[in-house]
Amino acid sequence: MYYLQLVINGIIAGSMYALFAVGLTMVYGVFRFINFAHGELIALGAYSALFFTSPPLSLPLIWATAPAVACTVCVGLLQDRLVFQPLCHGTRMTLLIASIGLSYLLRNAIQFGFGSDLLSYNVDLAAGYEWGPIIVTRMQLSMLITAVVFLTFLYWLFTRTMLGKALRAVADNMELAGIMGIPLGRVNRTVWILAATFAAVGGILLAMDTSLEPMMGVINLLKAFAAVLLGGPGNVWGALIGGIAIGVAENLSVAVLSPGYKDFIAFAVILVMLLFRPGGIFSFQKGMR
Amino acid sequence: MDYLLHIAISTLIYAIFAMSLNLELGYAGLYNFGHIAFFGIGAYTSALMAVGGLPIPLGITSAMALAGLIGAGLAFTVLRLTGDYFGIATLAFGEMMRLLFLNERWLTKGPMGIPGIPRPTLLGGMPADLLQYLMFTVACTILVFLILHRLETSPFGRALKVVREDEFVAQAFGKNLLSLKMRCIVVGSVIAGLAGALWAHYMTYISPNDFTLQGTIIVLLCVVLGGKGSPSGPLLGTCVVVLLQESLRFLPIPTDFGRHVAPLQGMVFGLMLVLLMLRRPQGLIAELHGGRGA
Repeated sequence: MYYLQLVINGIIAGSMYALFAVGLTMVYGVFRFINFAHGELIALGAYSALFFTSPPLSLPLIWATAPAVACTVCVGLLQDRLVFQPLCHGTRMTLLIASIGLSYLLRNAIQFGFGSDLLSYNVDLAAGYEWGPIIVTRMQLSMLITAVVFLTFLYWLFTRTMLGKALRAVADNMELAGIMGIPLGRVNRTVWILAATFAAVGGILLAMDTSLEPMMGVINLLKAFAAVLLGGPGNVWGALIGGIAIGVAENLSVAVLSPGYKDFIAFAVILVMLLFRPGGIFSFQKGMR
Repeated sequence: MDYLLHIAISTLIYAIFAMSLNLELGYAGLYNFGHIAFFGIGAYTSALMAVGGLPIPLGITSAMALAGLIGAGLAFTVLRLTGDYFGIATLAFGEMMRLLFLNERWLTKGPMGIPGIPRPTLLGGMPADLLQYLMFTVACTILVFLILHRLETSPFGRALKVVREDEFVAQAFGKNLLSLKMRCIVVGSVIAGLAGALWAHYMTYISPNDFTLQGTIIVLLCVVLGGKGSPSGPLLGTCVVVLLQESLRFLPIPTDFGRHVAPLQGMVFGLMLVLLMLRRPQGLIAELHGGRGA
């Protein structure tokens, strides 16, 4: 029973990693670089929700979510406009270093504005449901439901709409897609909007369940990255399964290892996947490195 | 005066560290984002041996040896990756090492860190004061600079540059890629270990918080700002970064603003990295092309 509880906790944590990983892998799929600043979008979503719920505005959390997500999307689009677009003809390393710089800038800006202490929203969602020895809090349940809703929406978007088709085409071959008359600018903006929205929503949910701190972005980014590698870079469904796998593995590890090593799992997954299956567990052809 | 000495010593130690990263990043094009781990390994090895009562020169030598050994192990495992994947794998390695420092309490005392690391003693048995320690660091820096300069202008250094520019060409010339990169990482790790050991004996206190991702980002900035692939670039870059860091301290700011200074520094450094990539990716001192030795 103890293990079942750990698995359930893992799936819920994993669904959040999946939300982050999906955005990260979409950006990788289209722009071919690892966006380090994706983590800060997570933190930014959570912190701007905090801003809208605290005194000068004091909105209830439900209403604060919309403007918080909007803020994060703006930052995501600005990132693209000011930094990544001008560099799009540079090497992948240039983009990676620029995104590391951007991540450092944003993280410190958050710390500048909110301090580095642990903060939390004033919401009480600890009430839970019990089935025998298994306990699921209401918060965890809403995390899971939100993740399912968002990922279903993504599935619908990718498979049933023209925009989704265009997105997949651009991810496959940007030049060719442009030649075929697909509006690249619009598709690129869509990718950033989706990635930022998913990151912000996940960040707010995670902050409701635990707490806010400036480092939350980096930590979750690395887990999301492990999920991306598990699923195969650029593979959206792989990222989903990868996220849940990381969440479950991490929570189960607590039963064996000391809790201080919980984060170790994600790093080990990153190393092992890169070394042995760089194309992800679902790739059947030889992966690109 | 002590303050100036402090700045000089930490600049030099960071310069040694930056030079070791430059060998990997600038010459061989290996973007090692976990380099801080070797700084940490050096610092912990030397500190633990010195606290345990062993002579400091032995500690520093073993710090370098262990860093080199672990560097060889890391190189052996991750060298088949290239470009950004190599970067991410080394980043994961760096964070894993930090978690080890944090959790292996029996060895590293965990988050409490190791206090009371002795300074090196002079021949007379007196612990070195700041000025003498500065001399020692200057000597180390010059030595490292000369060794690296020698390496970088040697056939080995030129081969590394060819590897960086085009691996197929290097292979066509009969160069053993794996062995070249491996030696490069081992040398880089040994020097980073030396920098870490110097750091530990200078600060007399270390904790896992000294070896985080932040350190990696700062030293990356030092190398990229100064100019990767140029021998004196990292020296200049480190001087600029430390000067900036220290001058922000002297801004006329109200005292209750004090807690904002560190994030402000971070914002400036992050912005510098972004602007550098946008405006001058080659850094302040651009690498010479087609000069002597090319």
